[in-house]
This record gives sequence, structure tokens and C-alpha cells, in this order.
Amino acid sequence: MREPTARDMVYQYDGSMEGFYCCVFEAIYQGELPAAIEAEAETQPRLFAPVWIETDREKALRVRRSIGERIAPRALELTECVFYSCLEGRELRMLCLLERCWREGAKRLWQGWSDPDLAVLLQAERHLLREAHLLKGFVRFSDYNGHLAAAITPKNFVLPFLAPHFAARYRSESYLIFDKTHRAALIYECGQSRMVEAAHIEFPEVSAQEARYRALWQRFYDTVAIEGRENPRCRMTMMPKRYWENMTEMRPELQKRLRG
Amino acid sequence: MELLEKLEHLVNGAKYDAACTSSGSNRAAGAGELGSALPAGCCHSFAADGRCISLLKVLMTNSCIYDCAYCVNRRSNDVPRVAFSPEELAELTIQFYRRNYIEGLFLSSGVLRDADYTMERMLRVVELLRKQYQFHGYIHAKTIPGASPELIWRMGLVADRMSVNIELPSEASLQALAPQKNRRAILRPMEQMHGWLQESNTKPCALQTTANRLPAIHKGSPRFAPAGQATQMIIGATPESDLQIMRLAEGLYQKYRLKRVFYSAYIPVRQHSLLPSLETKPPLLREHRLYQADFLLRQYNFAAEELLDEAAPDFNPYVDPKCNWALCHPEHFPVDVQRAAREALLRVPGIGPRSCQRILAERRGMKLDFSALKRMGVVLKRAQYFILTADHPCGVRLPGEAVARALLDPKIFAFGMEQLSFFQAAPLGLPGAGDVKNLREAAEEAVRVMGGLCSA
Repeated sequence: MREPTARDMVYQYDGSMEGFYCCVFEAIYQGELPAAIEAEAETQPRLFAPVWIETDREKALRVRRSIGERIAPRALELTECVFYSCLEGRELRMLCLLERCWREGAKRLWQGWSDPDLAVLLQAERHLLREAHLLKGFVRFSDYNGHLAAAITPKNFVLPFLAPHFAARYRSESYLIFDKTHRAALIYECGQSRMVEAAHIEFPEVSAQEARYRALWQRFYDTVAIEGRENPRCRMTMMPKRYWENMTEMRPELQKRLRG
Repeated sequence: MELLEKLEHLVNGAKYDAACTSSGSNRAAGAGELGSALPAGCCHSFAADGRCISLLKVLMTNSCIYDCAYCVNRRSNDVPRVAFSPEELAELTIQFYRRNYIEGLFLSSGVLRDADYTMERMLRVVELLRKQYQFHGYIHAKTIPGASPELIWRMGLVADRMSVNIELPSEASLQALAPQKNRRAILRPMEQMHGWLQESNTKPCALQTTANRLPAIHKGSPRFAPAGQATQMIIGATPESDLQIMRLAEGLYQKYRLKRVFYSAYIPVRQHSLLPSLETKPPLLREHRLYQADFLLRQYNFAAEELLDEAAPDFNPYVDPKCNWALCHPEHFPVDVQRAAREALLRVPGIGPRSCQRILAERRGMKLDFSALKRMGVVLKRAQYFILTADHPCGVRLPGEAVARALLDPKIFAFGMEQLSFFQAAPLGLPGAGDVKNLREAAEEAVRVMGGLCSA
């Protein structure tokens, strides 16, 4: 394989994982490196029209298989994490890494944190996995007539990473997690998880019983802190403010008081 | 009494227990079951004191026949006495769990009537959860001092983690403050559980005899407390030195293979001739140093005697125990990151288990320099004075004072200036309780003292 030619064109795709794999297919097939890859929804006005890359399942599967088999399973894992992260220019960065791995072998991949380009990607992966881990704890469900529902506002697209966790936990329940940032929802019912697009979801009024459990939880939260050990900075480090808006115990009046 | 108020009283009685971890178990819900457990545990919230909230930490009841001087639930304390019914508490746990408020239940209790009666009531809650609700989340249960082995055994079969509080760091203190308890009675169940844990880890089939009444949590071979046992002690209420405390912890880790020892800074709950006065602040910085040292014992292969000795039986408040050790043992440094063994790398301040792992994995193919180490997560601020790298083949050499300034733990003043007074001053020549007035003065004093240490 020869080194690809850098072109100042822009690839545009539909924003899906498969669409991204098709961009990779196109770049490798043409032996070129675009100046940017952007999802349809994030398009910025440009002088030249971007090149539209059509999503094709067949091509996507071929690319996916090749990453796992010809580079390494770890490369596939990294790709799929970074793709869902909030890293700026993640598509192009991943393409560069994959292209070099195909050309030079997976050796680069094991250099890990000592390789500056790869370190950026590993950092993005870690950021996403950390946010997903925090949200496993911070998601707050409310009971609406036996169905559970929650809203989150994460920076990374963590729903695919939360799905197996909650499926293993609330196996016999039905629940919905609405990601306001990415306008998507994870729905679990009858033992099956699925992801849907959702611009807005209106939650119904809470029942008296739901309000009671919220009050009990808030009372627990307020009581369990030991007076004489207050440590607002530590709380903020461990539980960053941006998660508070969706957490039952951090009700608006408490947040207001904490903001001074 | 209204459930809301009852909850408040029973949380108030339980909150001084330090442990709230939910680690060590791994399972998913089967069909018709509720709940799972993650090996690393999971924090669901953080309270105003910055501590993780993982479990619903409550007492079964705050009535108690004991009169331990340091405890809010002591018989002679004037607080309203309440109790959960087992059904009430089980339902509350489930409803909290479904809403993802908690990872499970941390159940403790004051001693009502006698140890066995109390333990049976606790067991009733846990068995309700496991059998009736098919609950597979995390459960941490305290054993009640003096409860019969039969009940402890049954609890261990349904709980994830068991713990016995060792209460205070020495027998003498226990006698003075909790005369109704004694060290032997505390260690006995610990030893017993250690035996059962060993047995269930090595030959799980040996436990089959009780299998006929086993609840759903154990499919296949039953296991006794899969997340092991832990303990906790109150520090700062009694005069033990840090060395005594670390020796005790080390002994517990070695002898009973405890998963964790927790240290709880004493918070004055009453005026008592044998206890610190009510105005005393909890010794948070000292507690922090003990936890740091505890990690050094468990994950860095340090021995208690390496960190402290009879000449300096207390931790240095100004630097963490690992830095302190490194400053006192210049003969081990600098360490060549390209070649040094894992054990030596782990002892470098600023290198932890994770960055150590990365160094070992990546150094074969390349020469490590400062920027590579930085990306690997090494804290160069501390590590740079103790290592040799490709770009600094002779190491970074600085006068003692500059090193001291760099290593000064920025956290020490975050807890408040009076925290320094909880450390024994003599061996390091540290200022006494009232001597340090402001932050800058304290920092300068620390640098002066440590500068001496570094050049020595």
C-alpha cells in the first residue's frame, strides 16, 4: 500500500457508524485522505460542496471485518468507542490511524500512550468510558405507572454503553433513557433493548407515590452527609455540576443554594 | 412515626460507618430477578461531605443495650428510638434500587434485646430481599458482636460482604470506652468468617450441606460472602500512634485476608473525660494519610514498618507517606524507568499501578522521555526528582528546598490549619498546635522542615 494523497475535499455522511465505515472504504479505495469528514447534521457552510458518501451495509461490514481481523480486535474496540465520543474531528483522526495500521501493521496500536496521535484517541475513549461509568450511577429513574424513565445530558454518546448494564440490572422491568444532548432514546421492554431517535420526550406528571420516594431519597441524601466534614469541592470533583440537573437529590433549590 | 422521620433517625445512627463500597461481586439478573453487581462497585451519588453514596446505609434500629462512649446510639444518649420492620425496609430498598438511587443495602443495627435477636431481624430483611423480591443487588451486612456462629453463617450465605467493627485501635482503648465489648469477642467472628471464606474459595462443594435452604443468589455451588469481609476503626478518639494503627491494619490484612480496613475520623458526639472535647474538629488530614498508607500496604507492597518506625511513629502531615518514604530513602533512587523492575517503579512517587503497567507494556519498543511518561499518567511534578529517562539521563537534581517545595502536598491546608495539630510534632520538629497562623507561614515551615529532610 502506498501513502494516501492528501486532498482538500470534505466527506459528508449520514452520521451513523456504518456511514463512517463507508467513508473509510472510500478513502482507502481512492487512496486519498480528505481534509475533513463530517456528519450531515453538523455541516458548516463551505466554498465547495462536500462529497456525499452513501451508506452501504455491505461495504461497512467489509471494513468492520477487516479492522478486527487484519489489524486487531483492539482496533475495532477503539474505533467504536472513539466514534461515539465527543472528540473534535474524531472521524478523520480514526481514519488516519486505521489507514496507517493497515499500511504498517498493528504495531502502532501497542505504542499506546507514548504515541501523541494515538494518545488523543485513547484520551477520548477514556473520557467516554468514564462518563458512561459515572452515568451508571447517576441516572435517576422515575416510576410512571410501572414503567421507568430517565433523562440524561451527557457530552459523549453513552447510550450504547449503558444499554447492557441496565439490561443486566433491570431484566424484568421496562425502561426508557432519553439522551437530550444527542436526541436519542434507549428503550428496553420485553427483554430487548433498542435505540430510537427522539427530538423531545415529554414526561407525564409524577404520581403521589413517586413523589414520596423522591422525598425519602432526598431526606436520605441530606441526612447521610456528616456535618463537620462538609467538602463541597470534593463533591463537585466526584460528581461534576453538569450531572446535577437530572439528579433527584440535587433539586433546584439545593442547587441554587450551593451556587450561592 | 412517619417513615420519613424514621429514615432520618436510622440514617443518622448509621452514617458514621465509613464503608460504603459496593465492590467485589460480579453477577447479572436472571429471568424474573432484579439487580446486578459490578466488580469495581458503583457510586450513585456524592454527599455534601464528598463521600460516595453507593448503598442505602441504615440501621435496623437505633435502640441499643450497649453504652459505648463514642457512639451516637449509646444507651445513655437522649435520642428518639425507632426501628424498621423487616418488610418496610425491604420494600424501601427495592423502590430505591429500581430508581437507580442505590447499588444495594448496607445494613447495620443497634443491639435490641440481645445479639441473636438483632441478628435474626437483620437476617429476615436480607432473606426477604433475596427470596421474595429475587433481589440480586449488593448487600453489606454488619455482624452483631456476640451473635451465634449459626446466624453469622446464614447471613454470609445471602450477603455479599460481611464486616465486624474492630471499633478502636487497641484493647486498652476499648476497655476504657466500651467496657461491655472486648477485643477477643470481636476477633472471634472475624477469624471464623475467614475460615469460611477460605473454605468457600477453595472447595465450594464443602458448603453443599446447607444447600437445601439456600436462597436464589447462589446458583450452583454456594459461596460465603463473595465480596469478602471488611472492618473499620475510629481514629483520633484515643491516643494510639499511626504506627500502632498501621501495624494493626497490616496484621488484619495478613491474618484474616480482609478486603478493606476503613478508618473513620472521630467526630465528637459528646462531652466525656476520656474523649476529645466537643470543639475538636475531626482529624481529616490524619485519616487521609492513613488511607494513603493503607493503599501502600495493599497495592504497593509496602510494610507498615517501612513507612513508620518507633523514632517517627506518626505520619508527616506535609507530604504523603510515599513521598516521605522516598525522601528518607535516597539510596533507592534515582530509578531508571527504562530498566527498573516493577517493584522499584511502583515505589517512585508519582507512579501508580496503572502508569506502572503502561510503562512496562510500552518501554520495550521505545525510549521513554518526560513527555511520554506524562501521557502515560505519571505525575512528573513528583516523579521527576526520582527517575532517569532518555531525555534526563542523569536525573533532575535540585537543592533540597526546591524539591521540598515541589513535593508539598497541596491538600494539607484544604482541611484547615488546625489539622496539623493532630500530628505528633516532635520527630520532625514541626510547629505545635497554635504556632502556625496562616497558610504562607505553614507552607514556609513545611519547606524548611522538609528541606532538612531532603538534604539529610
